[in-house]
Amino acid sequence: MDIVFDRVGKRFDQRDALIDLSFSMASGEMAFLTGHSGAGKSTLLRLLLLLDRASSGEVRVNGRPLSKIRESGIGAYRRDFGVIFQDHKLLFDRSVFHNVALPLEIAGFTKRDIDRRVRAALDKVGLLDRERASPEMLSGGEQQRVGIARAVVARPKILIADEPTGNLDPQLSAEIMGLFAAFNSVGVTVIVASHDLALISRMSQRILTLQEGRLITLSNSLRGDS
Amino acid sequence: MAIQSPAGVGSGPRPRVLAWAHHHRQAAAASVEKLIREPVSNALTVLVIAIALALPTFALTLASAVTQEISQLDAPPQLSVLTDPALIYDDAVILAEKIERQPGVASVKIIDRDTALKEFINATGLDALSSRLASNPLPHTLWLYPSSNIRAAGLEQLSQDLTALPGVSEVILDSRWLERLEAFIALARSVAIALGVAMALGVVLTLGNTLRLGIESRREEIVVIKLIGGGNAFARRPFLYTGVLIGALGGLVAAVLILIALETLTVPISQLFELYDRSAAVSVFGLLDVIGLLVVGATLGWISACYSVQLHLARIQPR
Repeated sequence: MDIVFDRVGKRFDQRDALIDLSFSMASGEMAFLTGHSGAGKSTLLRLLLLLDRASSGEVRVNGRPLSKIRESGIGAYRRDFGVIFQDHKLLFDRSVFHNVALPLEIAGFTKRDIDRRVRAALDKVGLLDRERASPEMLSGGEQQRVGIARAVVARPKILIADEPTGNLDPQLSAEIMGLFAAFNSVGVTVIVASHDLALISRMSQRILTLQEGRLITLSNSLRGDS
Repeated sequence: MAIQSPAGVGSGPRPRVLAWAHHHRQAAAASVEKLIREPVSNALTVLVIAIALALPTFALTLASAVTQEISQLDAPPQLSVLTDPALIYDDAVILAEKIERQPGVASVKIIDRDTALKEFINATGLDALSSRLASNPLPHTLWLYPSSNIRAAGLEQLSQDLTALPGVSEVILDSRWLERLEAFIALARSVAIALGVAMALGVVLTLGNTLRLGIESRREEIVVIKLIGGGNAFARRPFLYTGVLIGALGGLVAAVLILIALETLTVPISQLFELYDRSAAVSVFGLLDVIGLLVVGATLGWISACYSVQLHLARIQPR
């Protein structure tokens, strides 16, 4: 699924969070979104997930203008996304397995499919032996990996990660970025918001840099702008 | 247990209808599980609802039991028409036939003055009286049985009409006690209905508040569900099931409470009816009433859940 931001602006009260933002990502592309805190990274992701609506301009996903999606259609729209949150957003009242199973339950998969897919996703992030554990008992890095398993378990077309390596050590961060690249290599469009420039620059992917709500570089990657 | 994906394992989500049915089953199972997980607070809610449902239902049950008994009492002659003392028996018969044709009159029985005097003497034992009386002071009397569908106001009107007839000296309306009882029961019934409405409102508010607490305590879960593509309907469903379940349980417990109360009251009630030469109360609270209470409870639960969810769930949005 491709993503197009066409002269998008977002205004909160008196402040412009995004100004005249235009860029596009082809289906299956991977990009990093970077910039200081308050530069507009989160706002951009929120618009993409329809957690907020653009004040001006238009966001299109797979050719579909998001302004045309009504409140009641937001759930179905979000099911095309896998989202990894900085604070994981795991539910502590259920096991790792059931956290990861949640998107499949929402989508209405059969129990057998759920079992199979959840185990495959947990295997991918190396937590297959922890499926019965409560997320509370896991380390920060493990919780993040549960979040990743949950984000990819329903095989989303677009993967979004908001500061996924925020509190992780460099080695773990690199592992997680490697996971994203692996998903990207099977055709998933991936957007990773991060301010870990050292890590990003090693990944040789497209980089979108935001500053005070404007896009200041489309790319500084080795491969060039796609 | 799970419905097999028709196209085989790994083919993706179920068709919409099956997914929908599956969600419902899941939500129902989850709400039962939650109920069991917090037995004390949920039992208290169920009990509050049960009492709120049982009180008005019990009052209505008693009212209809009494009404049923009254309708089975032999209707006493509710109007006694005393004829003019000068009216001879044959004219009294003509008058009786005339009255019988009046609307609202079922039948008329003539008590001629001699029979009346004889009965009076027998009943009082005043034998000496008959010999002292020069003539029979009693008039012929017509006992008038009104048709059963006539109400108190109609009787009043009828008695006025009859008084105006020639040959009638007085009409004695014999139904004050019944009238009062009927009015009392009607009042009791109205009070019970008003009580029922107030209690139903109480149930909706109580259960709505319980569910609100449930929604608040699961705010995080709802946010996550919405973030990863669960719609309002998906988030709402478990609460609707919980509401219906608690409401239905409340109805069931209410039925049990009423049955216990009736059982306890059986002895005094049958003693009361024996005083009136009647057998004990007929069964006034049967299976249908139990089912009715269940349905009412479940409906109230559903309404509370809708109201609570409408009020609180939509406000929970991912930030």
